[in-house]
Amino acid sequence: MKRTVRLSVSILMVVTLLMSLSVVGSAQTAENWNDIVKAATKEGKVVVYSTTSRIMAAAEAFQQRTGIKVEAHRLSETELIERVYREARAGIKSVDLVLIEDFPSMKELLVTPGYLVNYVPPSARKAVPESMHNPLVFAHVSRVVGYNSEKYKTAPFESIWDLTTPQWKGKVMIRDLALTGEHQNAFTELIRRSDELALDYEKRFGKKLQLREDNAGLEFLRRLSENDIIIMTSDTRIAEAVGKKGQEDPPVGFFYVYSKHRDAEAKNLAIKAAVDLKPFAGYYYDMYLQLSSNPANPNAAKLFADYLMSLEGFTPWSSDIGIYASNGAIEHHPQDMPWEWWESRLWTYDPDFAIQNRGIVLDTWIRSVSK
Amino acid sequence: MNPQAFLGRVRRNATPHTILSVVIIAFLLYVVVVPLAVMIKETFIVHPMERFQIPGTLPGDATLSHWKKTFTGSSAGAFFFKPLMNTLIMSISMSILAMLIGGILAWLVVRTDLPGKKFISNLAIVPYIMPSWTMSLAWITLFKNPRIGGSVGLFQYLTGITLPDWFSYGMFPIVITLAVHYFPFGFMLISSALENIDSQLEESAELLGAGRRLTLRRIVFPLVMPAILSTFLLTFSRGLGTFGTPSFLGGPVRLYVLSTLLHANLVGQRPGMAYLVALVMILMGSLILYMDTKLLGARKSYVTISGKGGKRGLVSLGKAKWPVTVLVMVFLVCVTFVPFGVLAIESLTLIPGDYSLSNLTLHYWIGPASTSIGLRTGEAGILRNTEILRALGNSLKVGLLTALVCGVLGMLIGYTVARMRGTRFASALDQLSFMPYLMPSIAFGSAFLALFSVPRGPVPSLYGTLALLVLACAVKYLPYSSRAGISAMMQIGPELEEAATMAGASWFKRISSIIFPLQKSSFFSGLLLPFISAMRELSLVVLLVTPGTQLATSITLKFTDRGWYPYTNAVMVLIVLTVLATTWISRKLMGTDLAKGIGG
Repeated sequence: MKRTVRLSVSILMVVTLLMSLSVVGSAQTAENWNDIVKAATKEGKVVVYSTTSRIMAAAEAFQQRTGIKVEAHRLSETELIERVYREARAGIKSVDLVLIEDFPSMKELLVTPGYLVNYVPPSARKAVPESMHNPLVFAHVSRVVGYNSEKYKTAPFESIWDLTTPQWKGKVMIRDLALTGEHQNAFTELIRRSDELALDYEKRFGKKLQLREDNAGLEFLRRLSENDIIIMTSDTRIAEAVGKKGQEDPPVGFFYVYSKHRDAEAKNLAIKAAVDLKPFAGYYYDMYLQLSSNPANPNAAKLFADYLMSLEGFTPWSSDIGIYASNGAIEHHPQDMPWEWWESRLWTYDPDFAIQNRGIVLDTWIRSVSK
Repeated sequence: MNPQAFLGRVRRNATPHTILSVVIIAFLLYVVVVPLAVMIKETFIVHPMERFQIPGTLPGDATLSHWKKTFTGSSAGAFFFKPLMNTLIMSISMSILAMLIGGILAWLVVRTDLPGKKFISNLAIVPYIMPSWTMSLAWITLFKNPRIGGSVGLFQYLTGITLPDWFSYGMFPIVITLAVHYFPFGFMLISSALENIDSQLEESAELLGAGRRLTLRRIVFPLVMPAILSTFLLTFSRGLGTFGTPSFLGGPVRLYVLSTLLHANLVGQRPGMAYLVALVMILMGSLILYMDTKLLGARKSYVTISGKGGKRGLVSLGKAKWPVTVLVMVFLVCVTFVPFGVLAIESLTLIPGDYSLSNLTLHYWIGPASTSIGLRTGEAGILRNTEILRALGNSLKVGLLTALVCGVLGMLIGYTVARMRGTRFASALDQLSFMPYLMPSIAFGSAFLALFSVPRGPVPSLYGTLALLVLACAVKYLPYSSRAGISAMMQIGPELEEAATMAGASWFKRISSIIFPLQKSSFFSGLLLPFISAMRELSLVVLLVTPGTQLATSITLKFTDRGWYPYTNAVMVLIVLTVLATTWISRKLMGTDLAKGIGG
């Protein structure tokens, strides 16, 4: 009896202690958060670099809500990393918050030297699964292989290897790998899963893949490039070139962001993604939200981060297909498939493997494409 | 020399201009020599993204791998030699073409009875005033084929003929468009050489019974040969560092030259290999500088032979007069009004590639940001687009500041060189201030990037500031104004100043009341070219601009990359108009002459 009492008392004590701790904890964050809001209003401004143009709409909405001015810059992925890297090295306080892609570059150039810091705002703490907290994933973005749906009722190729055959010579469009870090990462996955790739070749053509490169991944990259690939400067242009109506012999878009399909109707494009392509229909990558470690407006940055991770803050993106919030409470676009459907069809990459191998990918690319 | 005598000499020579010149020399050494050292160092260290490619290393470690990879590795062809060959082919062919066009035009204008000379001379300078890749944009608009998608070019729209890839993109159009941009250079240099030939030499040859051809071959050619070779070398060095044209026209068919390779390497986080390429380009530039000084010396000795000639007898073109005139006019219209017109029209079409009247619009000029009209870009028309307007403002600021810095420094250098003529100090100043002239632009930009990307001792990092752009432009264009300054100051004898000194005038008084008024028009000529150059510069600044310091030229890249040509073209039209207006107004008001600043 005595023992039970003592035990229950101690349990009670522990529970009380824990509860009080958590009360203190939440009170503290709540208090801090109020301070942050106050300080943010005082700062009155936040500077964001982003790889998506939708940031402009989010910036405007945030400004209207809070009165805090957002200076948003839309930059290409390589440009963004380059800017943050150089500005940090030069000791310039210019950016407060980034929406950034290309994990390996981000990690090697910006996170490891301490130029960017991870921050999980209140709105993301519960809503975003913990596996996506560090670095904080803002959304997943999908890149697909697409064709002209006016000319072809169904995808005119079954396997990605088809695109290395004479039939598609001078017909495949891709963004320059040298300027597209995520492409380099995606191709490292083709190296990592070379066996699957080689197997798919055998299945498609009934013969063994002859290698001139070290593995099937690089062999694919080389054959694709040497098939007179057309290097484009933007995914928008690829989607437009592929989907333009009335073409005799339309090109194929390789690895462009699926979100370009959002304008298909408005731009009168006939474009479809080859969703059943073997062995993968494309790839996806994560877009991250990070704060500058040397910000001019640290509190406004946190407030804007909190807003972006919220249901409301994501609105400019949730009206798009091809981008999927990490915040589980946000539904996918009604005309799009749920994230799980895509996840099973798309490849992504292993961050560590990608960091180690993307140099080889870039070398192979430059070697195979340059004339 | 004993210390006292030395101090005395220092005191005697320590006029404001000499002190300033010492500062200028020190500064030029800093911005030319230090970046070279920094770049060389960069080629021997491991950079953050490379540590896995070079196994077992950490960022900052020493390595030879960039050198091996670039020059001897299995991919050295793609990483260096092929782009090098392409660069040589491009620069040599376009220089020859530019020299031929410029030389023939110069001969026609200076030595024959071609009508409308003044008009022709004015028009022939216009292509050089336009940004160098204006022509390539116009080319794409005219001759685009379906390879890169989007709308077809005007040519295919009108004729229905699909042009082959080699005509639309790659080496052929690059050479043509660059030659069209650079021929005015040869025109100006060779014209002035032809004007300096004493016509008595030709007349004597005629008296001695030499035919026109023989006279040309034995007298005129040898006399202008140094100018011709100099034109070739200068044009060649420009071609080396040009970025816009090979990037636009070479990209779609994967043609790399050194400048685009340097850019791709820097953007792709391979600074080691990038700086190697830059160093090679600078080395090539220096070689050209060396060869040119040899030739320049030769030219000077030729010019001294010919005294002042009498009234020049012009060669009669005879029956060929009108056909030649028409040909020249058609050519000049094709390289000035046509590209400009094409860009202007393209900026007024709502849906690119549709040239019907109903498709005309001012949307890309003054339209609202819209995701439903025309290209659905969500960008406002250029005249109400804050980002573009800021870039235009930046361009004007950089242009004006660069001009001011160059103009003042150029005159001071000119004054010093003229007053200290014959001393080693003067020739050092002369040569050093000319050096940036032949540095390939993009390599020079990358050198500034290396130098100013981090604070170095007392020198702050200027990355992300307009000051960096002004500095880069000022150093790069200083040769224009220092040449103008030197030639102007050489014309003023020391007597005027000596008289003023006797009357007790201070240095500043002498400069402001005697020297400056006498050489006002040269001074403004020295301002004009740096201003124009800064306004239309891309290759030099492409690596140095940041979102906050975008210039009108660099901001167009963003639109071109996305295929939003109407915005690019509208901005280009605005740049060209600004530059032309400035040139015209300053000629009317100040009597400036563009040719004065070029080549000496």
